[in-house]
Amino acid sequence: MVAAGALRVVRCGGGALRGARAVFSADSKYLLCASGDFVKVYSVTTEETLRLMGGHADLVTGIQLNPHNHMQLYSSSLDGSIKLWDFMDGIPIKTFTVGCKLLALYTLASAGDSVFVVIPKKGERDTFQLVSVKLTKGAGQDLEAKELSVVLDGVGASPKQIAFGREGEYVVSVKEVNLQVYFFKRKLLNRFSLRAVKTKGGDNQFSCVACHPTEDCIATGHADGKIRLWRNFHHRKEYTYSTLHWHHDIVMDLAFSVEGTRLLSGGVEAVLVQWHNESCQKDFLPRLGSPIEYISMSSDGALCCTLHTDNRITIINSNLRFSRSIQGLIKSRDVKTGLVVDPRTKALVMNGEPGHLQFYCLQSDQQLFSLDIVQRQYIHEAGLKQSDLVKVAFSAQGTWLATVEEREEVTDPELELKLWFYEEETQSFKLNTRINTPHDNHITDMSFRDMGELEDDSLILVTTGRDCVFKVWVMVEDTDPEGKYAQQSVSWSCDFVGSYHNYQATNCCFSEDGSLLAVSFEETVTVWDSVTWDLKCTFCHPPGNIRNICFGRLTCSKYLIGATDYGFLCCWNLLTCALEWSAHLNIVVLQPDPLSEHIAAVSWLSKESSLFVFKPNEPQPIYIQRNLCKEKILLAAFVPRDEPETTGSEKYLWLRRSQLLFLTDTQELMTLSTKPLEERLTPSSKQLAVEESLPVTPFSVLLGKHRRQQPQEDTDLGKLVVHNKHEQASPAVRELLHTPAHVLPSASFLCPIFINSLLISKENKSAEEVANEVEMESEKTEDDSDEEGDVTEMEQEDTSHMELLGEVTCKLSKSQEKELRKIRKMDYSWISAF
Amino acid sequence: MGEFEVHRVRFFGLVPAGVRCLACQPRGSRLALARTDGAVEVYNFAANYYQEKVIPGHEARAVESLCWAAGDRLFGAGLSGDITEYDLSRLSAARAADGGGGPIWSMAANGTGTQLAIGCEDGSVKIFQVVPGGIQFERNLDRRKGRVLCLSWHPSDTHIAAGSIDIFRVIDIASGQTVQRIMVNYHVEKVKRECVVWAIALLSRGTVVTADSFGRVQFWDWQQGTLAESHTVSTSAVLSLAVAEKEDSIVVGTSTGATYQLQLLPVKLGGSEKRWVRTKPFQHHSHDVRAVAHSPTALISGGLDAQLVIRPLMEKVQKKGYDAVLRKFTFPHRRLVSCARKARLLLFQFSQHLELWRLGSTRETGKDGEVLPLCRMPEHLVQLKSKGPEHIYCSCVSPCGTWLGYSTASRFHLYRVRCDGVSLRKV
Repeated sequence: MVAAGALRVVRCGGGALRGARAVFSADSKYLLCASGDFVKVYSVTTEETLRLMGGHADLVTGIQLNPHNHMQLYSSSLDGSIKLWDFMDGIPIKTFTVGCKLLALYTLASAGDSVFVVIPKKGERDTFQLVSVKLTKGAGQDLEAKELSVVLDGVGASPKQIAFGREGEYVVSVKEVNLQVYFFKRKLLNRFSLRAVKTKGGDNQFSCVACHPTEDCIATGHADGKIRLWRNFHHRKEYTYSTLHWHHDIVMDLAFSVEGTRLLSGGVEAVLVQWHNESCQKDFLPRLGSPIEYISMSSDGALCCTLHTDNRITIINSNLRFSRSIQGLIKSRDVKTGLVVDPRTKALVMNGEPGHLQFYCLQSDQQLFSLDIVQRQYIHEAGLKQSDLVKVAFSAQGTWLATVEEREEVTDPELELKLWFYEEETQSFKLNTRINTPHDNHITDMSFRDMGELEDDSLILVTTGRDCVFKVWVMVEDTDPEGKYAQQSVSWSCDFVGSYHNYQATNCCFSEDGSLLAVSFEETVTVWDSVTWDLKCTFCHPPGNIRNICFGRLTCSKYLIGATDYGFLCCWNLLTCALEWSAHLNIVVLQPDPLSEHIAAVSWLSKESSLFVFKPNEPQPIYIQRNLCKEKILLAAFVPRDEPETTGSEKYLWLRRSQLLFLTDTQELMTLSTKPLEERLTPSSKQLAVEESLPVTPFSVLLGKHRRQQPQEDTDLGKLVVHNKHEQASPAVRELLHTPAHVLPSASFLCPIFINSLLISKENKSAEEVANEVEMESEKTEDDSDEEGDVTEMEQEDTSHMELLGEVTCKLSKSQEKELRKIRKMDYSWISAF
Repeated sequence: MGEFEVHRVRFFGLVPAGVRCLACQPRGSRLALARTDGAVEVYNFAANYYQEKVIPGHEARAVESLCWAAGDRLFGAGLSGDITEYDLSRLSAARAADGGGGPIWSMAANGTGTQLAIGCEDGSVKIFQVVPGGIQFERNLDRRKGRVLCLSWHPSDTHIAAGSIDIFRVIDIASGQTVQRIMVNYHVEKVKRECVVWAIALLSRGTVVTADSFGRVQFWDWQQGTLAESHTVSTSAVLSLAVAEKEDSIVVGTSTGATYQLQLLPVKLGGSEKRWVRTKPFQHHSHDVRAVAHSPTALISGGLDAQLVIRPLMEKVQKKGYDAVLRKFTFPHRRLVSCARKARLLLFQFSQHLELWRLGSTRETGKDGEVLPLCRMPEHLVQLKSKGPEHIYCSCVSPCGTWLGYSTASRFHLYRVRCDGVSLRKV
C-alpha cells in the first residue's frame, strides 16, 4: 500500500443512486440522496451537487430526516452503522454502531429516540426482520447501539416493502403474497395473503407499499401492475380492498401526497401516474426517460421527485409538471463504447440512455448533452432486441464523430456506421454519412488518424471487424454540385480493405504521426504504412490473442505496446522489429496518455485491480498501485487537465497534465488524486444557507418572501458598497442569481440596484450616505407596496431601522452579524403576530 | 356398460330472456326475479337458492318493477300501467289494478309493507294501500314533469326519494310536497347529454344515494342539498343499486357488465368518521346489469345476458360450505325439452311456440368419442304457435310421438301428430 499523502482513489461520479428513496429537506430547498457509499445534497433550484457526505464504508441503504430536528439526517449503511449528520454543514455528528448489515432505515416522530432498521435474521439466510434500535444519548461521537427489539419477522429486504402508517400507529410489511400489519398500541399482528397462483396472467406478488398519511388506508403495488388499496385491515375477516390498474408491468414505487388525496405510482413504463382520491381518475406524466425506481414527496407537498434506474433524478411540481432533472453520469445497461474524451469540450463521452451518447462534464458532475445516435423510439419490453451504440471515435479536433450501432442479434448483426460533423452554428453534431453494413460481422474497433494540424483530407477512419478485414474510410468531395445536398460537399466512402490470413481483426491504432497503422489479427499484430497500405511488419507473442494495442508517444513513439489474453504485456521496438521487453500481467485496460509518454495499464488478478503506469522505454513501471478498488475496473481514460496540477512529488509527475479516470463495473467513475481529503472537499463545503424558522402556511411563505426580499436587497446594496473591491461575485449577488426568477420582483425594479452593485463606488463614501441610500430605497419600496396596508408599512420602517443598525455594525465579526440577523428574524415573527 | 349414441342437438335456438328486476323479500328468505319477457321467478335462499316458482310471462305484461309487501305478497308493475299481484300458490297473475298515471317505471313498498308507491311516466308518484284481497289507491304526491324512474322510501316511511331525468327529489309523505329538488348534472361541465338517475336509495341517516348514466354513484345530504361524495365507478352508466339492510354496503351494476361494491368504512381505525369507499369490482356479466340485490350474505346481480349471479361475501359467511360458493344461473331451471323415445322426436318449448324435431340417425358404429357420419339429417317437423297472449308454461310429447300437449296459465291444449304426412290435429 502507499504511504500517507500518496495517491488516493476518489469517486467522482456515477454510482448507484438506488440505495434508498430520496429525501427533501424540510424547507424543500435541498434534496438528499443516497449514492453509493455517500449521501449527496443537491440544490433543488439549481440542480447543483452542493455536498457529498462520505463516511460510510459500504452502500448507504437508508436516509431519513431526524423527526425531532429537521436539520439532521440519519443514514444507515450495509457497514452496520447509523450516522447522524448535520447536512447543512456536512458534519457527521454521531455514529451508532449496530453491528449487522442494515438494509433499510425508518424514523418515526412518535418513537422517541428509536429508529427502525431492517437487519438479516441471525442464523437464517435470506430472512430479514424489522427491529427498533434505541439510539443512546452519549457524549462521544462513536456510540454503540445494541438495544434491539424485534418488531416484525419475515419482512422483505427492500426498503419499499415496509411502510409506517398514520402517526406511526402501525407498520405494514409486504413480502411475496403476504401482507402483515402490526399495531403498536394494541400489539396486534394481522396477516393477509393473496392467492399465489397466477390467474389470467396476473401476478399477485407485492412489490411495494405505502400508507395514507391521514387515513387508515394501505396502498400496495403488485408485480402485475395492479395497485390495491386496503382498508379495514384491523379486522381479520372484514378487511377489504379495491384495485387500481394502469401499469402493464411491476409497480416499482408508490407515494401518497401529503394530504393523502393523491397517490403517485411509477414503474418501468417511465410514466408517473397520479390517482385522484383513490378513484380511477388519473393523470399522467409520461416520457420520463427511464424506469422509475423510487418516488418521494417533499413535506410541504410542493414537489415530488423520482429516482430512475439510470441514476437520473427528476423533480416534479405538485401539479404534475416536469420541473427539472438532475443527471450526473447516466447509468446505461452496458458501456460498450468505452470511455472517450471529447477533444472539444473535454467531456467524457460514453453510452447514456439507450441509443444515446452522453457527454458528461467532470467538473460540474452534470450531463452536458445527450446525442441521439440511433434515432429510434425506445420501446420497453423484455426480450426485445434494440439497436444500441457500440463504438465511438472522435477525430483529433473533435470535428468528426464516428459511431457504430448494432442490433443485438447473434447470427446476422444489423450494423450501421454513422459519421457526424460538428456544426459551429448549431453547436452540435450533424449526421453527415450513414453507412449500412460497413462490415459483415461485428465491428471490434475503430480509430481516426490523429493528425490535428494537417489538412482535412488527411483524415482517415479505420474500422476493424470480425469478418476478418479492416477497412479504411476517407472523405470524398461530392461531385454533384447542383443537387439538393449542394452545400454538403463531403461524404465518406471506403478506400481500402485489408486483411491478414483470414484472421479476425480485433484492434487498430494509429501511431502518433499517423504514418503507421497497427491492426491486431487474433494472435498477430500487423503494422501497415498508412499512405501506401503496405504491410510493413508483424509481431506475435503466442500464445493468446491480442487484447489491446497502442503506440507510444512523444519520445517513445518507436514502441508498440500490446496486451494478450494469456497475461502478457509486450513492448516491441518498431525500428528493430524486435521485442523490447515483456511482463507477465493480466492487463484488462491499456490507456496511453495523449499528452505525455506515460501509459496506464490496469490488471485484474485474483479479484483485485492493480494500476501500473510505465513509459515504454523503461521496463520498470514508474508507479504501481495494487488493490486500486474492490470493484472490477472495466475502462479507463486520461482526461487532459485545464491547467497543469502543481504537485510537489516527483513520483506523480505523470498526473500533472492529465487526470486518470476509471469506470468500474458498477458504473462508478473513479479518479486518482494527490490532494489530501480536506483540500479536495473545500470547494464544495461552503456553508449552506439555512432557513431556520420554517414557513408554515403558503400565505406566510408569500408574505415572508416579500419581507425577506427587501432586507435582502438592502443588504445587497450595503454589502456590495462595502465589499465591491472583491473580485469574486459577492454572496449576495450569487443569492440573487440563484433565486428562481418567479419569486424576484420585476426586472425594472432590480436593475438599478444590480447595476449599482456592479459599479465601483468611491472609497470615501461615508456610512451616512450609504444609509441614506438605503432609506431612499426602502421609501421606494414603500411606495410600491402602498396598498398592502399598515402592518406591512410598519414592518418596513422597522426593516430600515434594523438595516441602519446593521450598517453601523457592519464591521463586527461574522458571528455577531449572524446573531443580529437572528434577532432581526425573531423581531419579525413577533410583529407578524399582531 | 352399454353403447350409446349421443346426439349433438344444436338446433334448439332458445333465446333466454334477460333479467329485468330483482326483489329480496324483506327479512325473508326469498328472491323474486322478473325477466324481460314478463316471466316472474321466485328463488328460495334457505333451500340453497332453489328455483321455487315460475310464473310464465304474458305478451301484454312487461314487468318493470317487483316488490314484496305485507309479508309474502308479491306485486309487479310495468309499462302497461297496471299493478299486478301474483298468486304464488296458483302461479298466475291474480289481480291487476290500473295505476292511472300511464306506464309505471318504478314501484317501492314502504318499510312495514303496508303501502306501495309507484312512479309513473307522467311524473306523478302515487301511493296505494295494501289491503287484504288487493290494493287501494290512497293519494297522489306532488307531481312534477319528467318520468319517475326510481323510488326509495326512507326506512321510517316519512319521506320518499324519486329519481328522474337530470334531477331527483325528496317528497314528504305527510304533506305530499316536494321538500328538496336536486340537479344531478350540476357538476358536469359539458351538459350536452341528459343525466338519467337510474337508481336511488334513501338511507336512514338522511343520505340519498343516486346512480346515474354518467357512471357516477353520488351521496347527497338531501336536507342541505349538498353533494357529500361522488364516485365515478364506471365510464358507462350505472343502472342499478342496492343497499344492505345494515346500510354499510352498497352494490351497483353498470352497463359494462361489471358490478361494484361500495362499503362504508372508518377513515381511521376505531374512529367514528366513516366514508364510502369503492372496494371490490366483479365482472360476471357480459351485458348490462339491470338489477342488483343485496342479501345479508351475498351480492346478487342479474343482467340482460339472462344470468343471475349470486356472489357470497366471504367475510359474512361463517363456515365454508354451499353458502360460500359463487353461483351462476345461466340456463333455465325448467324442463323445456321433452323427448319421444320410440319415435326419436324432440319437442322444444319456446315462450310462445313449440318446435318438433326428428333426430338424425346413422348406420355406422364407431369407437368412443368418434363423430359418426349421419345418413339422415335432423328434420324440423312442426312449428306450433300458441294462441293468445299468454306464454307457454309447460309442454310434453308422448313416447310414441303421436300426442303433443302444452298448457298456458289458463288453458290446456292437446294435439295429435301424424308422422307420415306430418300433420297436426287439435283434439
